[in-house]
Amino acid sequence: MDSRRVLPGGTVLNPMTDLAASSARDEASASRAPAPLRPVRAAVAGLDRLGVAHVSVLSAIPDCELVGFCDPRRAARTSLRGIGHLAPGFADLPKLLARTHPDVVIVSSAEAARGPMARLALEAGASVLAERPMARTAEEAAGLADLAAERGLKLAGAHALAFEPVFVRAHAAIAAGAVGAPRHVRSSMFASRVFSAQQSARFDPALVSGGVVSQMASDLLFLLLWSFGQPLQVRATWNRIYGGVEDELHGMMTLASGLEVGFDSSWSVPGYPQPATVVELEGDNGKLLVSNDALELDLVGPRGGWPAGHTRVRDAELPQLARFDLDGESPYLMDAAFLEWATGGSEPPNTGAAALRVQRTVEALYASARQGGATVPVGA
Amino acid sequence: MKRGFQAPRLLLGAESLNGLVRASRDRALEVMARYREPESLAVTMSKALDAGAEGVLAGPSPALSAALAELKRPVPIFALLPGIPDFERHELGLGAEDLLERRWRRAALPLRMRLSLESLMRIPPPGHGDFVSRVPVLLELEAAALRVRDLRAVILSAPLTDLALAAGNRRFFQRLTRSMRRRFRAGAGFESRNLGLLLRRLREWEVRPDLVLGPVNPVGLMMKPSPAELLEELRTTEIPVIARELRAGGIVPLADGVRYALEHRAHGVAPDLVDLDDVAAELRRLFATTPA
Repeated sequence: MDSRRVLPGGTVLNPMTDLAASSARDEASASRAPAPLRPVRAAVAGLDRLGVAHVSVLSAIPDCELVGFCDPRRAARTSLRGIGHLAPGFADLPKLLARTHPDVVIVSSAEAARGPMARLALEAGASVLAERPMARTAEEAAGLADLAAERGLKLAGAHALAFEPVFVRAHAAIAAGAVGAPRHVRSSMFASRVFSAQQSARFDPALVSGGVVSQMASDLLFLLLWSFGQPLQVRATWNRIYGGVEDELHGMMTLASGLEVGFDSSWSVPGYPQPATVVELEGDNGKLLVSNDALELDLVGPRGGWPAGHTRVRDAELPQLARFDLDGESPYLMDAAFLEWATGGSEPPNTGAAALRVQRTVEALYASARQGGATVPVGA
Repeated sequence: MKRGFQAPRLLLGAESLNGLVRASRDRALEVMARYREPESLAVTMSKALDAGAEGVLAGPSPALSAALAELKRPVPIFALLPGIPDFERHELGLGAEDLLERRWRRAALPLRMRLSLESLMRIPPPGHGDFVSRVPVLLELEAAALRVRDLRAVILSAPLTDLALAAGNRRFFQRLTRSMRRRFRAGAGFESRNLGLLLRRLREWEVRPDLVLGPVNPVGLMMKPSPAELLEELRTTEIPVIARELRAGGIVPLADGVRYALEHRAHGVAPDLVDLDDVAAELRRLFATTPA
């Protein structure tokens, strides 16, 4: 059967969009949007930008009832109510938990409060999706993972990039062995965000765990660890251009197989009005390059369902299954996938254990940078 | 419906000047570089109008203001407000409050004095969080920054529309529609990245803005909640819909995207600068195929 999609006017979409190999789970998730398996009561703790986005997205997910939100700032609560959300608002999480009994809490508070809030929610019997980093230290995050496991609850870290269709498809291609055993991996995440001390001042080293890597490029680290595994050791250098946290970090990670994975990140580069992520992989069967725009493969021979030669799949050609778009596909897909997991569905990639591995890697990169690029083992 | 307002069939979109487009990074940067000089944008807008475009769909940007100042002829503007460049979006909280505070600080003194006087009478103070009352103030500050001679419509941009839409805030849409018409003496519209849901809610609420804007293309890209549900709403809506994202991120020829949108009952189309190489020639061809 001819699998090409022909549009009005005769345009033929890339046939590999539908032919590309994926795992069984990826195939299933490519055909439907994730959704809770039963009605679920959700709450949001912390109403900064991301918290308000979570509230909006949760409101659009079928079978999800937003039962409450909390933030110590009265103005933040009234602002959300002014937008039109009628769920009760609370100044603190204990009151919210006691009065609304949510099944799920999304923790998007300031970084210093995330760990304690996630712990409170877990202790109250709610599953937790926490913004990244889940806590100020990997040790604190590990405590959360242990608590969730002990209580039989779900814990996840909000690594939204793992839900972007083009990166999901790239992961599937790597997992299917399309490029064969990896020889070299390079990656980068750049954005044009911080160009002054005033902008950098929003990230006070006393209150946050770090700068560009912790706040932004940990999403790229998540993709790398998802596809290639956790590194054994890392080395890194950084630049603090505008303030107390790093604005750029260049790292090299070594895996147990000996594979070296390069990692560049900066939020102080002109020309990136939208963050740009790139991963390049060379294996014994060819090359793979994935960016926010497209996935490209150049293969020596057909493998894993991908043909020999050059294949390009643009992000826009991939299924876009979110039922509500607030800043792209991934916020909806991430929240809905978590609700599905919390109600007995399949496990998403961004489990608490996976997010914890990322946080440990970030800490190792920072330790190396502090030591001028020394090789540092990644904590287990 | 505002009396006398005619929803356009063909607009030139200029949102790419703010970096807010669904296109490859290379293409987006190319377009921003091409129109960095105001003369270049001014000539393009003038040619677009000669080619049949009924106006320019744009948010405030230094490039647009400079280009409009270059031109002697008035350019009908369909203002997409507030304009929030990508670099600014990440610094601000979602909603109107942070943005309003920032725009207030940079507004001219006479405008601030006038709005302050009005606020004493009917606008709740900062921190009250009343979206319904404060968004019109924000729009007024933004519109003043545009400095246009021919303002045809004010269209609430997707980031704020979709926040209120997610909250199911019927009162917001009702009151803002009236407020935009009254304050600007222009058409009132909403842009959304969730066009199917917006059309459904507006139908259920019996709210009738003068136009709405959102993605329509043959691939179904960004057509929410699903392409089928959006097409069904398009089939029955009485609100003029101006289709955007016609090229679906660059994978569909513009002519195909336009044909598809019009066949599915979009009232008009608004290709963006990023969708066009030879703006005048391509718009002329589209104008020839766009029903009057």
